Amino acid sequence: MISAYFIHLLILVGIYAILAVALQLAMGFTGLLNLGHIAFYCVGAYISALLALAGWPFWFCFLSAGIGAMLFGFLLAIPTNKLKGDYLALATLGFSFVIYAVALNWTGLTRGPLGLPGIPKPSLFGFVFSNNLSFLILTFIIALTSYFIIKQIASSPFGKVLEAIRDNELAVRVLGKNTFKMKSYALGISAFFAGIAGSLYAHYITFIDPSSFTLLQLIPVIAIVIIGGLASLRGTVIAAVVLVLLPEPLRFIGFPSSIVGPARQMIYALLLILILIYKPKGFYGKIELE
Amino acid sequence: MLKIEDLNKFFGGIKAVDGCSFEIKEKTITALIGPNGSGKTTIFNLISGILRPDSGKIMLGGKDITDKSIEDISNLGISRLFQQTRLFNNLTVRENLLLALDNEDTKFWSVFVLRASADKKNKFEKKIQEMLELVGLEEFADKLARDLSYGQKRLIELSRAILNPHNFLMLDEPVSGVAPRLREKIKEILIGLKEKGETILLIEHDMNFAFKISDDVIVLEKGRVIAEGKPDEIKNNPRVLEAYLGN
Amino acid sequence: MFSQLFVNSLIAGAIYGLVASGFSLIYSTCKFVHFAHGATIAFSAYFFYFLFSFLGLNFWVSAILAVVFASWLGWLMNKVVYKKLRKRKAGNVILLIAGFALLIFFEALILMLFGADVKTIGYIKIAKGLEFLGAIITPLQIVIVAVSFVLLVALFLFMKKTKTGKAMRAVAGNKDAAEIVGISAEKIYSRSFIIGSAIAGIAAILVGLEQNLQPMMGTNLMIKGFTAAIIGGIGSVPGAILGSFLLGFAENYGIWFLPSGYKDAIAFVILFIFLLFRPYGILGIRKNFQK
Repeated sequence: MISAYFIHLLILVGIYAILAVALQLAMGFTGLLNLGHIAFYCVGAYISALLALAGWPFWFCFLSAGIGAMLFGFLLAIPTNKLKGDYLALATLGFSFVIYAVALNWTGLTRGPLGLPGIPKPSLFGFVFSNNLSFLILTFIIALTSYFIIKQIASSPFGKVLEAIRDNELAVRVLGKNTFKMKSYALGISAFFAGIAGSLYAHYITFIDPSSFTLLQLIPVIAIVIIGGLASLRGTVIAAVVLVLLPEPLRFIGFPSSIVGPARQMIYALLLILILIYKPKGFYGKIELE
Repeated sequence: MLKIEDLNKFFGGIKAVDGCSFEIKEKTITALIGPNGSGKTTIFNLISGILRPDSGKIMLGGKDITDKSIEDISNLGISRLFQQTRLFNNLTVRENLLLALDNEDTKFWSVFVLRASADKKNKFEKKIQEMLELVGLEEFADKLARDLSYGQKRLIELSRAILNPHNFLMLDEPVSGVAPRLREKIKEILIGLKEKGETILLIEHDMNFAFKISDDVIVLEKGRVIAEGKPDEIKNNPRVLEAYLGN
Repeated sequence: MFSQLFVNSLIAGAIYGLVASGFSLIYSTCKFVHFAHGATIAFSAYFFYFLFSFLGLNFWVSAILAVVFASWLGWLMNKVVYKKLRKRKAGNVILLIAGFALLIFFEALILMLFGADVKTIGYIKIAKGLEFLGAIITPLQIVIVAVSFVLLVALFLFMKKTKTGKAMRAVAGNKDAAEIVGISAEKIYSRSFIIGSAIAGIAAILVGLEQNLQPMMGTNLMIKGFTAAIIGGIGSVPGAILGSFLLGFAENYGIWFLPSGYKDAIAFVILFIFLLFRPYGILGIRKNFQK
C-alpha cells in the first residue's frame, strides 16, 4: 500500500522535474521570467489527450504534445520579445490565463469543465504501461533524457549565449547576435519539455480538466526552480524530489485531503518567500535574479 | 570609412543631435569631445542602431546603415565599447571573450556537435590567450567576470570589443575611472591597433588623453559640431574654449 | 439589451476601479506589482463573511472590522515580506514573485479554513430591481456605484490636498529627491499599503455583497484590477479608474460578439495588447518600462 503510494509520488517527482528543468532553461539560463509555463503544460496535456482519444498511438501523441507546445512557445516569444522584468512576467501570466479560458470555454473541443476522461495508458511496441511501476520507469527514462538534453544545451556555446542574454542582452546584440532568435529558441525548447510533461501527466492520471492547469499548479514549479537555484540543473532535480515529498508526512499523520491539498500550496508559497528573503540564490544556484 | 550626414535626433522637445555631419578617415584615431550633454553618446547610439535618427544618414564604407538593426550593424563591422560596464557577469572571462569571436554559437545545431573542430578551437584559444597577455590578465581567464575589479572589467570589455570582428572600433570613454597606470596601457594598446591599420572613434572626457592619442578631434556642443581638426588646432580654437569655459 | 449592458459595465467598472486604485496607489509609490493585493480582497471578504454571516455581528461593525483587517493585512505583508526584500536590495521581479507566493498562500489558507464551496453573505434580500431605461439595477448595485464614486473622489482629494498624499506623490515622482527633503520612503510605502489595502477592504465588502465568495476570487479580481491599471497607465490613480471603466465596458459589450465564458479572456487579451503596444497606458508617462 505504502509502496504503491510511493511509486505514485515518484512519478509526480519525475513530471515536476521535467517541468522545472524546462522552466530553468528559460528562467535560470536565459533570464526570461515566464509565468506562463503552466500554459505549455496545459497545451501538451490537451493535445496528447485529444489525439489519444481519437485513436492515435502514444508516441505520436507524446511528440505532438511537445511540438504543439513548442509552437506556442515560439508564438509567445514574438509579442514578448521587447518586454523585461515585471512586464514580461505579467504578459506571460496573461498568456496562461488566455489558454486557461480557452480550455474552459471551447467546450466543443475540450468539453470545458467536464474534462476529458478515459485517456488511454501509454503503449509502445505493443507493451501497455498499465501498472504504476512500469509507468514510473517510463517517466524516469523520459525525465532523464530531458535532463541530459537540457544540460547539453546549457553547457554548449549556444547555452552560453543564452546566459549572456540573461546577464546583458544589449551587449549580446552589439556583438552581432540575434537575441530574438535565441530567446525564441529558449522559450520554444522550454515549452517542448513542458508539453511532454503534460502528455505524461494526461496519460498517467487518464483524466484532465482545466483545473489542473491553474496558478496553484505553477507555484510548486516556480518554488522548485528558485529553491533549487537559478541556472542549477542539479539543484532543480534535488528540489523537485524534496518539494514533492515534503508535504507527504501531513497525509500520514492523518489529516484529511481537504487540509493536505491547501497545506501543500501553503508550504510551497511559504518556502518560496523564505528563500527569496534569506537565501536568494537558492541552494545550488550561483545567480541572483535581478 | 564612416560618414555621417545631417543627423538629427529629438528627445521630446530637446534636440540631442542637431544636424551633425562628419567623416572618419581610415586608419586614424578620432576623438569625439564636448561638454556633458553635448550628444556624444547619443551619436554612438545612433551609429550602433540602438536609437533611430529622426533624419539623416549614416554610411559605413559607402554602405547606408541608417536603418539597420543593432545585430546587422555589428556584423557589418562596427564593434563598440559602452560607457557603463556591460560584461556577462556570471560567465568567466574566457567565455566572455569567446562570445565575441564569432556567431556560430547562435546556431542551434551546434548544441549537438559534441566537439568543435580542434583547429578552430586552437585558433580561438590562441586569440584569447594573446589578447589576455596584451592586457596582462592571463591569470584571470577562468575567473567570473563579476569578481574582477573595475579596472580589470574595463580591460576585459575593451578586449571583447577588440576581439569582436570589425573594421571600425567605437569606444565610449575607455579610460574613465581607470587608474593612471592602466590609462597608459590602454593608450599603448590603442596606438598599437592603429599601427596595425585599425580605425578608431572614441569619446573622451580626459582632454589630455584625447589630444595625445588622436589624429583628429571633433568637438560637439548642444548636438552640433562646432570644430573639427588636428589636436593642436583644436587646443587653440577660441570657439572650443568658450564651449568648455564659457558657461 | 444595450442599456442593460451599460448598467452592467458601470457596476463592473466601479468594482474594478476600487481594486485598481488601491493597487495603483501602492505601485505608484513602491514601484512593484503587489500581486497579493488580490489576497487582501479575498481574505477580507471571507473575514467579513465570518463576522457577519457566521458570528452574526452587526453589519456596520463587521464592515468596519473588515476594512481595518484589510488595512492591517496589507501593512503586515509589507512589513514582514516586502520590507525585508527591499532591505537586501531585491529587484522588483523578486518582489513580484514574493507577492505571487503570498497570493497563493492566502488563497490556500482560505481554502483550508472555509472550504472550496461558494459562500453567500446574503445581507440584502434579492430586492426587485428598479427599471431604468429598460435596464434593471438593484438598490445594492446603486450603492456600489455610489460608494465607489465617493471613495474615488475622496482618494483623489486625499492625494491632492493632504500632507501624506503630497508626500506620496513626491515619493512616486522621485524617491531620492523626496528623501533629500526629509520624507522617509519606507514610511510612505507603509502608508500606501495601509490606504491601498483599506480601499481593497471596501471593495471586498461590496464584491462579497454583490457576488458570491470563492477562494480564488482574489486572483481574478487582481488580474482585472491590474489590467485596468495598465490600460489607464500604471502608477496613475486617475488612470487606473479610467482603465477600470474602459475594461468594464469592453468586457460587457464584448459578450455581444463572444460566448459569455470568454468574458475573463477579454481582459487578458486587452492586457496583452496594452503591454505590447502601449505598456505605459493611456495616461501613463513613457519611462523606462523596458528596464
